[in-house]
Amino acid sequence: MIEEKSENAIQQKEVEGLSQGRIVLKRFLNHKAAIASMLILLAIILFAFTSVGIDIGSDSAKIKIPGWWKYDYAQINDVENKGNPTMDLLPSFIDGTGMAIGNHPFGQDEVGHDGFARVMRGAQQSIMVMFVIGLVATAIGVFIGAVAGFYRKWIDSILMRFTDLIITIPVVIVGAVIGRAVGNLGAFLLAVFLGFFSWTGLARLVRGEFLSLREREFVDAARMAGASNLRIIFRHILPNAIGVVIVNTTLLMSAAILLETGLSFIGFGVRLPDVSLGYLINENQTAFSTRPWLFWYPGLFIVSIALCVNFIGDGLRDAFDPKQRRAITSKDKRVAKVVSK
Amino acid sequence: MLKFITRRLLVSVVVLFAATYLMYVLTAYSGDPLEDLRTSTARNKEQLIQRRIDLLNLNVPPYLRFFIWLGGVLGVFVGKFDLGKNISGQLVSNELGSAMVTTMQLVLVATVAAILLGVIVGISTALRQYSAFDYSITFTSFLFFSLPVFWVAVLLKQYMAIGFNDFLEDPQIPIVLIFVFAAISAVVWPGIIGGRMKIKVRIGAIAFSITAGLLFILNLTGWFEKPGIGPVSGLLMGVAIAFAVTALSTGLANKKARNASLVVVAIGMLAWLPFNLFSLYVSPLIFFILAVATVIVGYLVGNLMGGQDKAPVARTAAITALLMGGVIALDRFMQAWKPYFESSYISGRPFATVGDQTPNLQGSFWVLGVDKFTHLLLPTLALLLIGFAGYTRYSRASLLEIMNQDYIRTARAKGLPDRTVVMRHAFRNTMIPLTTLVAFDFAGVIGGAVITERVFSWSGMGSLFIEGLRRVDVNTVMGFFLITGTVALLFNLLADIVYSLLDPRIRVN
Amino acid sequence: MTKSILNVSDLCVDFWVDGVWYPAAIDINFNLQAGKTLAIVGESGSGKSTTAMALTRLLPSNARISGSVLLNGQDLMQMSNSEVRKIRGNQVAYIFQEPMTALNPVYTIGFQISETLRNHYDINPVDAKARAIELLTMVELPEPAEAYDKYPHQLSGGQRQRAMIAQSISCDPELLIADEPTTALDVTVQAEILDLMRGLRTRLNSAILLITHDMGVVADLADEILVMKDGRLVESGAIADVFYTPKQAYTKELLAAVPKLGSARQRIEVPRDSETVKPVLSMIDVSVEYPKNGRTPAFKAVEQVSLEIYPGEILGLVGESGSGKTTLGRAAVGLLPISAGTLSVSGLDISKASDRALRPVRAKSGFVFQDPASSLNPRLPIGQSIGEPLLLSKTAKGASLERLVEELLDKVELPRSYRNRYPHELSGGQRQRVGIARALALTPELLIADEPTSALDVSVQARFLDLLQEIQARLQFACLFISHDLAVVDILAHRIAVMQNGRLVEEGLRDQILKNPKDPYTQRLISAVPVPDPAEQKKRREARQALK
Repeated sequence: MIEEKSENAIQQKEVEGLSQGRIVLKRFLNHKAAIASMLILLAIILFAFTSVGIDIGSDSAKIKIPGWWKYDYAQINDVENKGNPTMDLLPSFIDGTGMAIGNHPFGQDEVGHDGFARVMRGAQQSIMVMFVIGLVATAIGVFIGAVAGFYRKWIDSILMRFTDLIITIPVVIVGAVIGRAVGNLGAFLLAVFLGFFSWTGLARLVRGEFLSLREREFVDAARMAGASNLRIIFRHILPNAIGVVIVNTTLLMSAAILLETGLSFIGFGVRLPDVSLGYLINENQTAFSTRPWLFWYPGLFIVSIALCVNFIGDGLRDAFDPKQRRAITSKDKRVAKVVSK
Repeated sequence: MLKFITRRLLVSVVVLFAATYLMYVLTAYSGDPLEDLRTSTARNKEQLIQRRIDLLNLNVPPYLRFFIWLGGVLGVFVGKFDLGKNISGQLVSNELGSAMVTTMQLVLVATVAAILLGVIVGISTALRQYSAFDYSITFTSFLFFSLPVFWVAVLLKQYMAIGFNDFLEDPQIPIVLIFVFAAISAVVWPGIIGGRMKIKVRIGAIAFSITAGLLFILNLTGWFEKPGIGPVSGLLMGVAIAFAVTALSTGLANKKARNASLVVVAIGMLAWLPFNLFSLYVSPLIFFILAVATVIVGYLVGNLMGGQDKAPVARTAAITALLMGGVIALDRFMQAWKPYFESSYISGRPFATVGDQTPNLQGSFWVLGVDKFTHLLLPTLALLLIGFAGYTRYSRASLLEIMNQDYIRTARAKGLPDRTVVMRHAFRNTMIPLTTLVAFDFAGVIGGAVITERVFSWSGMGSLFIEGLRRVDVNTVMGFFLITGTVALLFNLLADIVYSLLDPRIRVN
Repeated sequence: MTKSILNVSDLCVDFWVDGVWYPAAIDINFNLQAGKTLAIVGESGSGKSTTAMALTRLLPSNARISGSVLLNGQDLMQMSNSEVRKIRGNQVAYIFQEPMTALNPVYTIGFQISETLRNHYDINPVDAKARAIELLTMVELPEPAEAYDKYPHQLSGGQRQRAMIAQSISCDPELLIADEPTTALDVTVQAEILDLMRGLRTRLNSAILLITHDMGVVADLADEILVMKDGRLVESGAIADVFYTPKQAYTKELLAAVPKLGSARQRIEVPRDSETVKPVLSMIDVSVEYPKNGRTPAFKAVEQVSLEIYPGEILGLVGESGSGKTTLGRAAVGLLPISAGTLSVSGLDISKASDRALRPVRAKSGFVFQDPASSLNPRLPIGQSIGEPLLLSKTAKGASLERLVEELLDKVELPRSYRNRYPHELSGGQRQRVGIARALALTPELLIADEPTSALDVSVQARFLDLLQEIQARLQFACLFISHDLAVVDILAHRIAVMQNGRLVEEGLRDQILKNPKDPYTQRLISAVPVPDPAEQKKRREARQALK
């Protein structure tokens, strides 16, 4: 047996015997911001879905699971404390009254709806829309990108012209039109249709990956081994492009939630009787001076969700394509150990 | 190169056509244009319905009705441009005409500003990779990326407009705030300029004192009531600009460039008084001509003083001239502030939260300019924040990749100073992939503008679109889309032209 | 007594990676006199390039350098940054390996040369341009005045390297550091560039520091040699001393591993009795054309090539870049369609390559690829890569498949446990062995090897070639060995075929071609190959000059 020194023996130490997938996972778990974001996002999702329960479907096919929060998002209650939030997070030695959650931690609007319930419901819708758009757009984008990048020539030209066509129409504009058409049929359907117009960025990236991976020798080797085109696409090229896909899906998702809330804000997204975080902000922008809490809480949730998703995406990007994380200081240089010569 | 451009243009036109068709059909099917009439209680309901059907050809199915509309559009080639009528029977082209100007101003200013700022910040962070400056900018970009544009717009409306208007009632900056601004200055400037810790501390101290001192003086002189730059500060600013531009463009060692820039500043100072005397005759056209004239003057001065190597000196002088002209113009705008502020239309609350201009306001080019500024500032800021984040990240990544290329190593091996390596060798190559981003981004800006206009209640194209869509007024929506689509196409074309100018591999084979 | 331009003492270079300093160069000492050429040789990881870059402190920020580098008595390590910058490009100039990427693509070559001049001298643009054109003439670039305004992508590889050299000598440097200057060039172009460098050396009296792994180039150009391994100096001395009487074991190993043109043993001819034995690969007037794609016109890569390979024989296919040899290799097994002619493998006609027609052929042929970094799917353990042909041809699966994979690993002398390892855990040489194992999986009658050792170090290459020879001798498959390196082909092949610009120029027995080439291109090609023997190389060079 002939043992040869591996050129990058230094880096190999930490990844011996691990597949690419495991290596990526290991790196991701080391990225503190991403892990924290993931936990926060999971917490938000859990909170949103369990607090006011799930209530989907039309009257004929309803799924209704109650939550642990006492109010419903559509319920009209008596206005307490002039609608001010009843949540007090400052302990008694700071403001006199102790910490409490109260009946309406996020306050109420003038009609009497409970702010917390509405924000939770809105968060549910936005999160659901985010995932659905992400899924649909990723599926379409990967398919189109893969076919265009792999088969090239006229298929590529046609698909890319088609992609250009979709890019020409701003997503907000076409989203508004779709929202006008199907918005009242529920958030899920809206999300699916919005996904039909959100895949262009991903398609371009996947196409680029396929164009370059296609030229790698292991593709020819697979052909020599007798692999069919389908096998090459799914078993050989796609697994190597998965990094790009995953990272960009997260970016897509954060853009999706901003899109949905934006559409709901101008009235073409999720509409009454349902609520969305965007709709809540629209409803209450004029009330800013009198009831700012109705504006702040929905906004904070949107920003938090989008920010978490973005951090997760950044962590994934680093996991797939690691780079040096910080500058080398002179202290680093002084205390570093020296490998024996 | 011409072949490349024409090919792209043709393809874009075809794509725009197809996109228009898709938009038309989608919009037409998105709802019922007769909805409001069906539910009305008017007695001549049937007649109204029929009239509207006749007016808008609602009998024809959308996939064919498109061509009727298209016929009107193509009439522009024979001088009979017709965008159809809106749902109330008025000509769409009339409605669009006024709305278009405001929206386009917003969109273009926001895009150009986002690109400029984004690229500058992106490049500085790449050069100061992994520093605290870099990290904070990266974090802030992340944050901006995750903000919904409407939320930002409302916040700006509340805190900046209303807050600033309140501030202007008694324009004294509180001491705490002076301290905060000075502290921020002390941290940011060393970050941008970089260097060893000792140098950074020194720069920080200087920045702190300058900022604090400046703000104190502003307070004392009541600057916010009667702003202006004045000849003394103008001269100081001019000299600073001359040095900065020379440092970046040719390096301070090039004495000819530095001297030419200083001469240009002197010319600017001399022109100050005459300019102010005749400023009331300035119209937008004259303003534009003056701007071009300043650049030409700068270029000529540089040429004259350039000695053997005219080109870099002329370039430096031209840029300095433009910026110096900007200082003079800014001063004049500021002088128009007091009369603007005190006019009855404004009565002390200049930053508007509604509408894109003050109705019925009359005045000189300068006063109207200030008016435009106060109305445009916040929406532009809202759009800017989102686009800026993308450009920062992209240009940073691009520059980092370029700096690892072989030809950068060659440039260093030739003994070129770092400034030249970055500004001459790296910069141009960094810009090339950026042009493709512009195309993508513009569509996003248009979408953002629609939402932002809503927040500030502008009666621009955004509201035309929203209202039109609500009533399923296809002609109005299509008018909107045609204009924005065409502007996007032109913008992309511009990006393609810049791309082929920058990259000789496209231009020459 | 020529003075020393460069004195390097106790030079050490370390790189900081994740809290540890890794040494790249350790205690390097050497001197260089004006007009002399010192070659630093070593395999990958030896630290030769690092040393060269360290001399003018051109290393990244995570490097630290210690020791002294005296240029005409001045210590470059003690100077400030701005002083060192004045030296770079002026007294010390570099020539880099890959001219396409080493020149800025957005500026003309003339501009880049003028820029160097104007950076170091106070000279106006007009004079700089005149001097630049002078330099372009000196490096024998055709039409120098027009070339001034050309962009790098408009020139050929050799022309670009000439432009690069013009840029480097523009300020009359005392020391020219050439880092693998001809590695990316074709052999005939390489010979011209080496001639150019020799000519310039005498004209300018510069000292040249030549970094290379190619012993032939060293024998051609260098006066002194320094051998490095793992960052350390192994041996140094005059060229004749080190080549003919090497003292250190490593040097001896290195020299023994270098393939030397014309020194291979006698070859037993393989029977080609076409009555009883049919050729495994038969090409008759085969052409391969890349069709018109958008606006790039159709390109004929291979034109009317006819050749045959019989069982048990190795045919070496040589040519420079653009000769079409790689295209031919891929077309031979149906990876590329042929546009004309007849092609058959093991008696099966695959001229009209449809997937169905190719399936039986795939079972009879194997392909070894060039680039160890991209020939294995990084997501699959190598056992799966090796086993894929077996799996897809339904020869075996499950436990029997595993066994077959293990046997294949034995054949290529890799440990069986490696089948669960991933490509990134293996070295380049090991990955190429995996490539052989995969190609042999279905016991092919025809093996195509496309430049399998071009990306390997010389010692690794030697072991690889031994292995391939031994396997071929045992299994007796027909082999098409594609290479640009005549010395390697000399070792392996029974017969040689030479290609130029898509055409087959000459073909015959190995010794016939190498000793008595008939075609002028073949003659030029063979005479351009540098041999790792200084005295012999001198003779060859003079013979080549006479030919011109």
